[in-house]
Amino acid sequence: MNNIISNFLYIGSGIAISLELLLGGIIIGAVLGTLLSILRYKGICRSAINGFVSFIRGTPLILQLSVVYFVVPSFIGVKLGIISTGVIAFGINSSAYVAEIFRGGINSVPKGQFEAARSLEIPSYYMWKDIILPQVFINIFPAFVNEIVALLKETSLIVTIGGMDIMRKSQIIAAEQYEYFIPLCIAGIYYYCLVLLIEFIGRKIEQRKLSIKNL
Amino acid sequence: MNNENLALKICNIDKTFNDARVLENINLEVRKSEILGLAGSSGSGKSTLLRCIQKLDVPDSGEIKCDCKVGFMFQDFQLFPHMTVLQNLVYAPSLKRKKDKEQFVDQAMDMLKSLGMESKASEYPKTLSGGQKQRAALVRSLMTKPDILLCDEPTSGLDVATIIDVVSLLKSINELGVTLIIASHDLDFLTKIANRVVLIKKGKIAVDVELSKQTDPVSYLREYY
Repeated sequence: MNNIISNFLYIGSGIAISLELLLGGIIIGAVLGTLLSILRYKGICRSAINGFVSFIRGTPLILQLSVVYFVVPSFIGVKLGIISTGVIAFGINSSAYVAEIFRGGINSVPKGQFEAARSLEIPSYYMWKDIILPQVFINIFPAFVNEIVALLKETSLIVTIGGMDIMRKSQIIAAEQYEYFIPLCIAGIYYYCLVLLIEFIGRKIEQRKLSIKNL
Repeated sequence: MNNENLALKICNIDKTFNDARVLENINLEVRKSEILGLAGSSGSGKSTLLRCIQKLDVPDSGEIKCDCKVGFMFQDFQLFPHMTVLQNLVYAPSLKRKKDKEQFVDQAMDMLKSLGMESKASEYPKTLSGGQKQRAALVRSLMTKPDILLCDEPTSGLDVATIIDVVSLLKSINELGVTLIIASHDLDFLTKIANRVVLIKKGKIAVDVELSKQTDPVSYLREYY
C-alpha cells in the first residue's frame, strides 16, 4: 500500500511539468493562432500561412519536437532546455490548430458585424479586439477547450527528449519495479483527472461568461 | 461639391456582381435635409446603392461625391450581440473621445428615454423585440452625429403600429437637420415619410418624383414599379 502511495506521489510530481508545457503551449498557440487567422482573413501572407498550417498539421508532433530540440539549436547557436523546447514546439503545433478553429469562428460571425463596425468608423484594431474576437471566442470556445485537452495529452511526448512529466515518471517506476500496470494506471488517472478539471472549468466559463450568446 | 445645398452627388455609377449588373448609370443628387426614398422591388439595386454611398461596396465606375459624415442603419440592425444596448450606443463615439464617455452615456440614456427604452439600456440585444432593436440601431447610428443617415428597409418585419412610430421617429431626426436616404419596397411607407422618391428598377432609375407635386404618388409610382 505504502508503495502505491509513494508511486502515486512520485508520478504526481510530474504534473507541474505537464501543466507548465500545457500552459506555455496553449498561450503561444492561442496568441499565434489568433494572429495567423486574422492575417489570413485579411489576405495578408495568406499562401504562406496556409502552407504553415498545412505543414504543421500534416507532420507528427514528435517530429516537430525533435526538430526544435535537435536541429534548431544548430541554426541559432543556442541549446534550448527541455521545457523551452516543449513550450515552443507545442505552441507552434497548437497555433496551426487554433488558426483553423479561429478560421471557422471568424467565418461564423455575420459579415454585417464587420460592416457595422466599419460604418461606425471603428478602427480595425478595436473592431477585432472588441467586436469580432469576443464573438469568435463565444463560437469557438468548446472547440478551443478540446484543443487544450488534446494538447495536455500531447505534452506526454516530452518524454522523447527526456522531460520528467507524469508519463516519464510512470515509466521510471515501471522500469524500476518491473511492473507496468500500476504506474501506467496512475499516469492515466492523473491525465484523466486533469482532463475532467479542464472540462469542468470550460463548462463553468461557458455557463457564466458565454450565456449572452445570441448567434 | 460646387452646390452648397447638396448633401450628396452620385455621378454615373455602375456596379456588377458576378456578371449581373446591379446598378447601371445611376445619377442622383440629394439635397441637404431632404428625406429621399429609394423605392424598388427586392434585387432592384437600392440596397447596393446605399452600400456604395457608405463605401461598403465600391462602384465599378463613376463617382460618389459627399463631404458629409454618413451613418448607416442596417436592415437586420447588426447590433453587437455581446454588448448591452448602452454599450452598443456609446462604444464607437467613446473610442474617439475617451474622456467624454460619460457625456455620451448621458446622451444615449436621454435618447433611449425619449424612445421609452430606458429600462433596456443594460440588456443584451437578444432580449429586445424587432422594434426595440431597430430603435437601438437607429440611436447607435445617430450617436456618431451623421449629416446623412442611410436606412436600409427600416420597416421590414415591423407591425403597423411600430411602422407609424418609425415614421415619426425618422421625421424628428430629419427635423434636426439630418438628411435621410431610406431604401424600402414599401411605397405607402415611403410616400408617408419622404419629400422625394426615386424608383429603382433593374439597377436603373425609373422615375424621380417630388411628392409635393403629385396628388396620388403611390398610384403614380406603381405605374413604374
